[in-house]
Amino acid sequence: MTSTPNTTFPRMKAPARGRMLQWIRCNRPSVIGVGLLVALVVMGSLLVPGFISVQNARSILLLAAFLGLASLGQTMVALLGGLDLSIPYVIGAANILLPSLINTGMPAGLAMAILVLAGLVVGALNGALSYKLQGQALIMSLGFGFAVVGAAQIYTTLGSAVGGNVFAPIPAWLTNIAAFNGRFFGLPIPPVIVIWIAVTVVTLFIVRNTWFGHSLYALGGSRVAASRLLISEFRTWLAVHAISGGMSAFTGVLLLGFSGGGYVAVGDPYLFTTVAAVVIGGTSLLGGGGGYGSTVIGALVLTVLTSLLVGMGMSFAAQQAVVGLLIIPMVALYARTPHIRSQI
Amino acid sequence: MIDTKPFRSLMRRNEHLFVPIALFIVLLVAAALRSPGLFTSSGVAGAILVAAPLILATMALTPIVMAGRGSVDLAVGPLLGFINVTLVQWLVGSGWTSPVTIFAWALFVGAAYQVLQALVIIYVRVAPVIVTLSSYLFLTGVNLMIMPRAGGVVPEWMTKWGAGTSIISPVLFVLIAGLAIWFVFTRTAFHIHLRMTGADERMAYTSGVRTNWVRIGAHLLGGMLVGLAAICHTALISSGDPVQAGTYTLQAITALVLGGASLSGGRGGAIGSVLGALNMFLISHLLATFNFGMFSGFATQISFGLILIISLLINVLLTAPKIQAMR
Repeated sequence: MTSTPNTTFPRMKAPARGRMLQWIRCNRPSVIGVGLLVALVVMGSLLVPGFISVQNARSILLLAAFLGLASLGQTMVALLGGLDLSIPYVIGAANILLPSLINTGMPAGLAMAILVLAGLVVGALNGALSYKLQGQALIMSLGFGFAVVGAAQIYTTLGSAVGGNVFAPIPAWLTNIAAFNGRFFGLPIPPVIVIWIAVTVVTLFIVRNTWFGHSLYALGGSRVAASRLLISEFRTWLAVHAISGGMSAFTGVLLLGFSGGGYVAVGDPYLFTTVAAVVIGGTSLLGGGGGYGSTVIGALVLTVLTSLLVGMGMSFAAQQAVVGLLIIPMVALYARTPHIRSQI
Repeated sequence: MIDTKPFRSLMRRNEHLFVPIALFIVLLVAAALRSPGLFTSSGVAGAILVAAPLILATMALTPIVMAGRGSVDLAVGPLLGFINVTLVQWLVGSGWTSPVTIFAWALFVGAAYQVLQALVIIYVRVAPVIVTLSSYLFLTGVNLMIMPRAGGVVPEWMTKWGAGTSIISPVLFVLIAGLAIWFVFTRTAFHIHLRMTGADERMAYTSGVRTNWVRIGAHLLGGMLVGLAAICHTALISSGDPVQAGTYTLQAITALVLGGASLSGGRGGAIGSVLGALNMFLISHLLATFNFGMFSGFATQISFGLILIISLLINVLLTAPKIQAMR
């Protein structure tokens, strides 16, 4: 997976200094990311017995798949210079709404489709409301997330005895998709990993070959230049937020298969890990640089790092502290903003 | 003919305060109808006790946000918690319970950590959001390592603070001290430099403002206010709690926006932040008067969300033409 083609486009403003040099400079985050990944795996194999095993690789890929799917929308929003903080709440809402819908007698497949569609709509609404805010858009998405998850919880609690958790018989195929021991056409690979690979390939293709993909980078690079190219900022902004909402709902639905019971706080870790995966991968939060290929690497680095820390016997608290400490040096490797002197 | 020009300019400068003031009045009226008990002496005393940490935490965010670059401090909650657990676990645990030591420690830790963050932002040149995000994770983990579960005792003299029986309480004095620090700060040239830096850092830099020092100063001020917030929080819960303070981050950011500050920098102030925090307090207080039963937590969440959305939208409507002009 680390060999996925990189999506970083040469920045338009970069002066021509030979294609090779430019390629290396533009792809520096990915080169560093892959290097980091290799270093972590080597460290893991030296420090933790059994780190290099099919079992461990499968669990890392499974967890990375959830993180990667949840980070797709975050990456696209970041490419436009925003952040979507509603992701964990949409994940949690979808996670409790699915069993609640199944309990009404709706077939699970239909319920999943409805929830992903609802996620798209909710995301689009979030984008429409936050469009004018720009710098404050992330807080809008936060408020929007609160509202969504509050509404979902009120809906699921109506007529039930306990708030927060929702239980329903989950179809075996959904469990198979997302569980550790899931099988894909007889292969011992949880299908969610295959879904993640497919989503990655499709995303990379779309970003490279469609007007929409080019609009992302054009807008992130320069709003004015993009508007001169007749790229609608509003439509792109709406689209990335819709994608973010849809992918969050999709992740929430899949997480139900993983955990077995609807739990609204299941999305909470994704508030910060999606952002971390995006920045560790090397997508600039200012917009215009990076891409989903980088985020895939970021998600893998983060998951391997966590797995390494768990293997070394660290408590959850210690893991958090170490990951927190490591984010700055990792980002400082390639995402430093230029000195203000050179911005004038 | 009365000259209305100074008045109008005052109005225009404080346009962002219209929404919080209107909301505050509406909430006060609603509170008077729903729960008159709030307006008794003990009601006000309790309100001050409960609202003080949030007010101070929101004020702590204000200078940092005003410095621009989208530097909203996500770590404010965990930092508050860090001061709380270290006070209880380390200081009281080692017998250092004098008020001077406690205050000095809280102010020093808050200020030192914030200055450290400012230095990282300035010299490592990583986006502030990332710095504070990593701080959030780091401190949340460290807090749990220092104190795995809530417990411990506060110094003898602080136990009485948490009673909340009279309006003139030590917590009120801490709150006034925080406001006094802010008042002094707004009288200085540093305040103008801070607003310039936040509104347009490049312009401020080229005009000779030492933007790095401004950023350090903003974080220093914010850090001291976090220290005061942590003391009020410790008095409120009368113990150490590694997790609870983390929730202040989202609450304080919401309060900040409710108070009309701009998260893109340059605009904000103590009045707005205090109003925003008070509005947050009144909203949760009002919701508690309704008998939502199992829904109460969800109802609070959905209302915070909706109010945040609406106040942001109103802020945009008020300031949209100017944003367009600036672009």
